[in-house]
Amino acid sequence: MLKLQDLTKAYRTDEVETVALNNVNIEIETGEFVAIMGPSGCGKSTLLNIIGMLDTPSSGHYFFKDEDVAGYSESQLGVIRKQHIGFIFQSFNLIDELTVAENIELALLYHDIPAAERRERVAAVMDKVGIAHRAKHMPSQLSGGQQQRVAVARAVVGNQSMILADEPTGNLDTAHGQEVMEMLQKLNEEGTTIVMVTHSPSHADYARRTINLLDGHVVTESMRSKI
Amino acid sequence: MFSNYVKIAIRSILKNKLYAIINVLGLSVGLAIYLFGGLLSDYEYSHDSFFKNFDRIYTLRGNVSPQANIGVSQIDTVQSAVGPFIKSDIPDVDAVARTILREFLITVGEDNYYQSVRFTDPELLKIFDFDFIHGDETALDGSNGIIISETLAQKYFGNENPVGQSITLDHENDLTVMAVIRDIPKNSHFNSQILMSTPLGILIPMRAMERITEFQPDTNWGNTSSGNMTYVLLPPSLDQAWLQTQLDGIYERHMPDEQKEFMDSFEVRPLADANTAIWDMLGIPVITVVKLLGIIVLLIACVNYTNLATAQSMGRAREVGLRKTLGAGRTQLLLQFIVESLTITFFAMILALATLEIIIPLFNSATGKILNINYLNTLPWLLMTTMVVGILSGSYPAYVITKTSPIEALRDTARKGRAATIIRAIMISIQFTFSVCILAMVLVVYAQNDKVEESSRIFPKDQVYTLDRINVDQMTDRHEVLRNEMLSIPYVNDFTLSSQVPYEQTNSNIRASKILNDFSQTVNINQLNIDDHFVSTYDIPMVAGRNISRDIAMDTHLRSQGAVNVLINESAAKALGFSTPEAALNQVFYEDEKEKGITTYTIVGVMADRNILGLFNSVKPFFFFMRDASYRLASIKLSKNAPVSVVKDIEEVWHGVYPDYPMQGKFLNETFQKVYMIFDMGTKSLAVFAFIALFLAAIGLFGLAAFMAEQRTKEIGIRKVLGASNNQIVRLLIWQFSTPVLWATPIALILAYLASGRYLEFFAERIGLPYGMLLGAGLCGLLLSWMTVATHAFNIAKTNPINALHYE
Ligand SMILES: Nc1ncnc2c1ncn2[C@@H]1O[C@H](COP(=O)(O)OP(=O)(O)OP(=O)(O)O)[C@@H](O)[C@H]1O
Ligand SMILES: [Mg+2]
Repeated sequence: MLKLQDLTKAYRTDEVETVALNNVNIEIETGEFVAIMGPSGCGKSTLLNIIGMLDTPSSGHYFFKDEDVAGYSESQLGVIRKQHIGFIFQSFNLIDELTVAENIELALLYHDIPAAERRERVAAVMDKVGIAHRAKHMPSQLSGGQQQRVAVARAVVGNQSMILADEPTGNLDTAHGQEVMEMLQKLNEEGTTIVMVTHSPSHADYARRTINLLDGHVVTESMRSKI
Repeated sequence: MFSNYVKIAIRSILKNKLYAIINVLGLSVGLAIYLFGGLLSDYEYSHDSFFKNFDRIYTLRGNVSPQANIGVSQIDTVQSAVGPFIKSDIPDVDAVARTILREFLITVGEDNYYQSVRFTDPELLKIFDFDFIHGDETALDGSNGIIISETLAQKYFGNENPVGQSITLDHENDLTVMAVIRDIPKNSHFNSQILMSTPLGILIPMRAMERITEFQPDTNWGNTSSGNMTYVLLPPSLDQAWLQTQLDGIYERHMPDEQKEFMDSFEVRPLADANTAIWDMLGIPVITVVKLLGIIVLLIACVNYTNLATAQSMGRAREVGLRKTLGAGRTQLLLQFIVESLTITFFAMILALATLEIIIPLFNSATGKILNINYLNTLPWLLMTTMVVGILSGSYPAYVITKTSPIEALRDTARKGRAATIIRAIMISIQFTFSVCILAMVLVVYAQNDKVEESSRIFPKDQVYTLDRINVDQMTDRHEVLRNEMLSIPYVNDFTLSSQVPYEQTNSNIRASKILNDFSQTVNINQLNIDDHFVSTYDIPMVAGRNISRDIAMDTHLRSQGAVNVLINESAAKALGFSTPEAALNQVFYEDEKEKGITTYTIVGVMADRNILGLFNSVKPFFFFMRDASYRLASIKLSKNAPVSVVKDIEEVWHGVYPDYPMQGKFLNETFQKVYMIFDMGTKSLAVFAFIALFLAAIGLFGLAAFMAEQRTKEIGIRKVLGASNNQIVRLLIWQFSTPVLWATPIALILAYLASGRYLEFFAERIGLPYGMLLGAGLCGLLLSWMTVATHAFNIAKTNPINALHYE
C-alpha cells in the first residue's frame, strides 16, 4: 500500500531546527492494521500527517501505491487523499453546527456524488456504526464515544481504503474506547488498511503490527502472531 | 512606563501593517466626517456672534398656513407693516428695525452699476454695532443720507473720502453718502444667505422708500419677499418666550384676516438662526442632519474597528498567554491594548485633519463660506475625541483578550460568537443596504442629469447670447435701434426680444376660456411676449398657420384694442381642446382682465412643443404674442463659428445704444447652468457620500470576515481533511462571508428602485426605469464585497489543516 524510504521531516522555527522524523523507513501492506507508539513528542503525529498527505516530508521518498508522492503539490496530494484516506482524530473534530448525518455527508460532498446516493450511503454507514437513531442530533448532544463513532463513519463513508487514526481513544473512557477499537477491527477485517497512533498498549494489541518511535527514529517493529 | 506601552503598540501595529492601515483609514473617514459636521455646525451657529448685542437680537419669521399651499411651511420674513406695531405696542423692546431689499441701477459720476440696497429703519444702527470708518450713527437720520460699505466706497470712489458725495438710483433719485462702514465678516447672515448673495452694501433710510419706489412699507401687508428682515433688540432682562407672547398679541390684534389665512403665526428666532432660515423653510434641518450623520458615521467606524481588532486579537491569544506567564497583570494588558487603539486613533486623527485641510478650502470655494480649523480653540475637542474614540473602540477587544485564560477567551467568544456574529452581520447588512442604495441612486441621478442636459440642447444655448434688463422705460424706445445695430455685427445671425428666455423658472399664466363672458371653465396657459424673430432665433418649427409679423397690425397687442393675434404651442392647442393644430387656427380664447376688460386672443399659428422652462419641467401650454415695452430680454443668435471676440463687439454696440446702462449679458447656457448646477452639485455630494458609505461598509465587512475566519479555522481544517480543494474552500468562504451583502443587495435595490421612481417623478422628461443601473450598483456592491473578503478566504484556504486541528 505504502512505503516510506529515508523519510525525514524537520521543522525550522526561528533558527531552531527540530527534527521530528529522522530517516524513517516503513512499509505498510494493503489490509494491515498498524499501531504507532512512542513517548510524547517522538513524532507520531508528524508521521501520521505525512502518511495522510496533510504534510510533506523534508526529504526522502513516500510511495503511495507505487507512486512517489513526496514532491507532490498540496492540490495533487488533496486529490489522492480524498480518494483513499479517511481520518479519525483524538478530539473527534466534528462540526458543531451540523447534524450527525450532515457531518458524515460532508465527506461525500467533495466527491461529485449525487444527493440521493449520498443519503443512501450515509444511512448505510450510520447503521453500520450504530448511530442511525441519532442522525438528526447535533454533536454536542452526543457522548464522546458516540461522537467518535460519527467520526469513524465519516472516515469510511467515502469507501476509503485506508484510515488514519491519531489517538482515537485518547478522549474516551475504557468502555467507549473498547467500542471504537472493536469497530476499527471490524473495518480492518472488511479490508480497510488502518494506521493508528495510540498510547495504550491494550489498544495497540488490536493491531497486527506495532511500530515504536523514539526521537524520530523507528526503534522496534513487533508483529503479533495471531492465529 | 507609558512610553514603553507606546513603543510596544507601535511595534505591534507595524507587525500587522494591513490591519493597521485599514483601521487607520476607516477611523479617519469616520473622524473626518464627524469633525466636519462639528466644524460646519459651529460655523453656522457662530454667525453674527461678533455683534455686541448678538444674544439680544431676534428676527421674525412667518409660519405659513397649510392651506396656503406654497410648498414651504415657513418663510424667513414677516410683512413690513408688522414693525411699526412692535414699536407702538411693545414699549419694552430696546429697538426695532426692518430691512427691505431692492436692486437698482446706481450711477456714480459717469459709471453705472447694478447693486442691491437695503432700505432700513435708522434703529438698525442701535441694534448692530457697525464699525464706522467715516461718519457715525446719525447717518440715516435724514431722508437722503445713506451708508455704504468699505468695498463699495472703494469701488465707487476709489481711495478718497466719499462722505458728501452723491449717487443716483435709476437715473432719478440723488442720495448723499453720510457714512462708510467696514465690511461685515463673511460669517454673518447679511452675507451668507443660501438662495442669494446680497452682502450689506448700501443702507438707505426707510422713509425714503415710498418716494423712490412707491412701496409703502409701514402699511404693506402684501409683500413677503425672502430676504426682508425685521430685527428686534431686547433688553437683557427679557427673553425670546416673552417676545413671542407679545408678538402673538400683535398677530391677534393687527393681522388682516386675509393674511391670517396665509400666515398662521409669527415666530421669534434668535439672530443665531438667521443664516440657516432657508433649511427651516424647506423643513430640512440640514445642519443637525450633517452633525448627526457625522456621529453615526464615526460610531460605525468605531464598531468596525472593534470588530477587526477583536478578530485580530484572537489571533494574538498566544502572545497574550505568554505575556501572562511572564507576569503581566490584567490591568497592564488592558492598558497595552487600549494604548494600541489610542495610537491607531491618534494616527487616524492626524489623517482626518490632513484630509480636512484639503477638503475645507474646496468646500469654502464652492459655498462661499470661510470655515477653518482653529487648532488652538479646537485642541481640547480634538484630544477628547481621540481619547473617547480610542478607548471606546479599544476596550472590547482588550476585554476579550485579557480575560483569565486566553484559550478560554477564545472558546468563549467562539461560543458567544454566534449571536454576536449575527448582530455584526446585520449591522454590515444595513451598512451595505444603505451604501448600495445610495450608489444606485447616484447612477440614476447621474443618468437623469444627463438626460436633462441632453434635452436642453433642443435650444442652441451655446449660440444664443442674452441681454437682460432692457425693460426700463427709458430703454424701450431704442429697442429697434439695438436690433439693427446688433444685426450689423458680423457672426450675428438673428435677434429677438422676449419677456422670458428658455430655462428661466418663471411662470406667468392666464386663465383662458373659449367662451366669451363665461369664465367658469378655464385652462391655465403660460404667457410669453415675443417678437417675430423668436421662432427663428430659438429654432422652433411651426406646425400650423403662420408666424406673427410686425407688418400685420393685429399681431401686436395694444391695450386700447382688447384683441391680438397669438401663437400657441401644441400643448396649448391640446389644453384648449383642439383635436389638431390645424383645428386651432383662427379660433379664439378670452382672458378676463377685470377692470381692464376682456381680451380676445386669436390663434394664427401653432409652434411645435419646445420645453421653454426646461430642466425638470414638463412642456407647459404656452401662448405668445407681441407687445411693445413688455420685453425684458434680447437674445442674439450667433453663427456656430463665431469667435469669442464677438461678445466684445456686442458690448461695444450696447454702449453705443445705451451709454447710461451697464450691459447684463450672458450666454443662454449660463442661465441653464444656474439651475442645472443645483442638480449637478446634488449628484456630486451624493457620489462622495456613496463612496464614503461603501468604503466604510467594506471595512466593516473586512472586519467581520476576519472575525468569522478566525472562528471557522477548525471547520475549514476538517473540510480540507475530508477532501475539499482550496478553490472549493475559497468559493464557500467568499460566498458565506458575503452573505450579509447578499441579503443587503436585493433590499437595497428595491429601496433604490422605489426612491428613484419617486425622484424621477420630479422630472417631466425622464429616463426609463433604470433596471440596468440598479443591477449595476448591486453588482458593484457584490464585487466590492468579494474583493474585500477574498484575502481572508484565500488565507484560510491556504493554511494547512493540521494547524487548525493541532491544538484540540
Ligand atoms: N508545526 C510545528 N512546528 C515546529 N515543530 C513542530 C511542529 N509540529 C510538531 N513539531 C515538533 O515535532 C516533534 C514531534 O511532534 P509530534 O506532534 O509529531 O509528536 P507526537 O509524537 O505526536 O506527540 P504526542 O504524543 O504528544 O502527540 C515535537 O518535538 C514537536 O515539538
Ligand atoms: Mg500527537
